[in-house]
Amino acid sequence: MDLLLRFLRWEVWLFLLGLASIVTVQLLNGQINTRSLLSSNNGNMAKSGDISPARLQLLISTLGLAFYYLVQVLNNPNPGTFPSIPESWPTVLGGSHVIYLGGKAYSRWFSNDGNG
Amino acid sequence: MNLTILTQVCGWILCVFVGLLALLILWLMYRGDIDLTQLISEPNGDASLSRFQFLVFTFVIALSLFLVIVGNPRQPEFPNVPGTILTLLGISGSSYLVSKAIQHSDPSGLVNPSANDVVISPAQAMVRYGQTRQFGAVVPRKPGSSVKWQVIAGGGTIDASGLYTAPAAPAVAPGAAPPLQHATIQVTSDAFPDAHDLAVVTLT
Repeated sequence: MDLLLRFLRWEVWLFLLGLASIVTVQLLNGQINTRSLLSSNNGNMAKSGDISPARLQLLISTLGLAFYYLVQVLNNPNPGTFPSIPESWPTVLGGSHVIYLGGKAYSRWFSNDGNG
Repeated sequence: MNLTILTQVCGWILCVFVGLLALLILWLMYRGDIDLTQLISEPNGDASLSRFQFLVFTFVIALSLFLVIVGNPRQPEFPNVPGTILTLLGISGSSYLVSKAIQHSDPSGLVNPSANDVVISPAQAMVRYGQTRQFGAVVPRKPGSSVKWQVIAGGGTIDASGLYTAPAAPAVAPGAAPPLQHATIQVTSDAFPDAHDLAVVTLT
């Protein structure tokens, strides 16, 4: 049974790593479309081409938080449990999303010259 | 004893089957038969940040869950998921939904900007001299928005509603048919001033 469990672990591990590698490589080499990922919208939801600070901060906070949490999991002193994270994290991430969504709603409904 | 062997055999068959399936999926993704090009794209062709952050969070939590399960020193078991993790996932998912709601609140967020911004119909028409013909135009990214009509070549006039009036027939010898002439009508979108479309009228 131990051999079966080890096989299963490697199987899932390789699948997740393979999936992450394929998606990451395709994101970096442009196969997965990333056009206008950080561009701001104008009032008609068309992208203006300018980098939107609201989008940029969300991207940074998302990647930063995701990376930090993965490091926490890999260095977890209590294997078998999720590492605890500071209570302030949901507030920080929530605030970042509110800024992004607020900017998007504003540019969609109230602005004609766009800010993201 | 027999039951244990049967369990082992079933377990191995299942694991090998799932492994081959996973391998096949990865291979098809690698070859491009499973198309990931629009993985984080909106219907209008632009990449979506809300989709991207949702993808990142989902993947990180999935990977973390796997690492936590297999990292259990006793035996693999499903761990308790802390409330803060669920809150983070909830924020990510809710933000995605709200972002889609904003995006879908206007048709302009759903149409590919590379498509024509204004489309005239009919694009070609035959009109008798002195007769009228109604033209129409749609603006896919902003349905119902106003347009401007213009006759940019040839004779005739067109009003604000797109009703074209052909010029009077030129004088010809008795019994002869009037010559074929052409006129070009242009429609311009008020919402997207750079966008226009043309129709060619053949006057008979």
